[in-house]
Amino acid sequence: MIALVDCNNFYASCERLFQPHLQNRPVVVLSNNDGCVIARSDEAKVLGIEMGAPSFLIEPTLQQHDVSVFSSNYTLYGDLSDRVMNTVSRFADQMEVYSIDEAFLNLTSFRYNNLTEYGIAIKNTVTQNTGIPVSIGIAPSKTLAKIANRLIKKRNKHLGVYCLDTMEKMQYALQNTEVKDIWGIGSQYAKLLTRNGFVTAWDITRAPEEWIRKNMSVTGQRMYQELKGISCIAFEDMPPKKKMVCVARGFGKVLNEKNEVMEALANFTAMVAAKLRSEQQAATAIQIFLQTNAHRSGDKQYFRSLTIQLPVATNSTRELISHAQQGFETIYRPGYNYSKTGCTAMDLVPADELQYNIFDKENRERDSKLMKVVDMVNKSFGKNAVRFALQGFGTRWKLRQLKLSPCYTTRIEDILTIRI
Amino acid sequence: MGFPSPAKDYQEDVIELSEYLVQHPSATFYFRVSGDSMINACIPHGALLVVDRSVKPVSGMIVLAVVNGEFTVRRIVQTSKTLVLHPENAAYKPLAVTEEMNMQVWGVVTATVVKYKYDKNDRIG
Repeated sequence: MIALVDCNNFYASCERLFQPHLQNRPVVVLSNNDGCVIARSDEAKVLGIEMGAPSFLIEPTLQQHDVSVFSSNYTLYGDLSDRVMNTVSRFADQMEVYSIDEAFLNLTSFRYNNLTEYGIAIKNTVTQNTGIPVSIGIAPSKTLAKIANRLIKKRNKHLGVYCLDTMEKMQYALQNTEVKDIWGIGSQYAKLLTRNGFVTAWDITRAPEEWIRKNMSVTGQRMYQELKGISCIAFEDMPPKKKMVCVARGFGKVLNEKNEVMEALANFTAMVAAKLRSEQQAATAIQIFLQTNAHRSGDKQYFRSLTIQLPVATNSTRELISHAQQGFETIYRPGYNYSKTGCTAMDLVPADELQYNIFDKENRERDSKLMKVVDMVNKSFGKNAVRFALQGFGTRWKLRQLKLSPCYTTRIEDILTIRI
Repeated sequence: MGFPSPAKDYQEDVIELSEYLVQHPSATFYFRVSGDSMINACIPHGALLVVDRSVKPVSGMIVLAVVNGEFTVRRIVQTSKTLVLHPENAAYKPLAVTEEMNMQVWGVVTATVVKYKYDKNDRIG
């Protein structure tokens, strides 16, 4: 059997943990730049606030119902996610962290006669130790575990655990899951299935295998098996190493000064470089882009991206910024109101397998030593304590995060003070 | 190069204070206090508290509690009839937890860290 542990309204739950007066109150979390809703507490869902709703559109609802609004604080969410995953991992030999707030547990080799009870023990321990409420679906396959999890959240959230351990329960779960809500079904397949009269997941399991094979890809056939309770999506203990690292963000307000836009790009490139180094990877190429805001109808529009092949794969901030700057000179056009820029590192290779180029003029050893020092200093003295001149000290390109909560768990100066 | 140090074989890791203070890293959070209501339990104004959510609260422990949505730090005392949140300073009153009150223990305080700041007269500021 496989369990899917999924945090309830994860980002909203993280914010609430340190503001207990928000328990039972509507809470929403906004995306980068405070653009739209990316998490809602149950109370906010009841108010009809939709996922993805642009914040300026729902402003009246937020005001009227005194909804607590937060900018996304990924530092906080990342730390609490680690705590949840650490706690969960003790309950099984094999765990796959599927996303920031979900993990699959492999309970196959597990001889416990009451898996529902075991699930309740997991749920209670995670909620007690980390303060983050979770729901758990347990079933013979990943796809069914997803379905079980979704149903318990929708129908019996207070129970929190749903184990599909009999044919009857499985049938009930499948009959109560619409085709479009099956894990891994894209909108194309959902349409195809609906057109052919499939309404629920149960209907799919009744279809002749022949039909599935003819009309759907390998993914479709796998889903068919999984729905029937035959596990065929493998466990991935380690998330596959990233093939790309991208930092791209909109500015707090539009920028039309060349050096300000370049400063933003240099900072994002520096973040990409630091990420690469922390994962011991190096980029073979980078892609940079500049764009204006398509929603400002009065503005002239411009979008340009440029891929730059690097002479030698690197993760040095100095080198990457210098290439990004050359690229920037090529694609920058004056007279536009820029709203976003970014840098993507591509074709990543392990940093210890770098192929050197005999015509290479860079002093790589010195550079890599320098980067180690930069990372060390920034680790002890704070992000960007040491920076390259191009990164500047400007703030206009910075994210709009008006309602950012403190990093309670990762910065000593952000620790919550309690009046006693 | 010279001879290898005879102490090499006896070398151990340096003392990590956080290992001493924290038993369950995934369940441990830090808070700071403002106020002197817990002074007799060695929790002065400005102290940093180590709070472990995985420890089961037992009568007599110092806990971080949430009373009607507000955090507080008190010694929790369970008598045969009542549950009381006790301050550790005679100037403050104990709080008997009633049915109508919404009281939860957020975590158990397992350690207090006080870092001295000296003023120009070398007194603890």
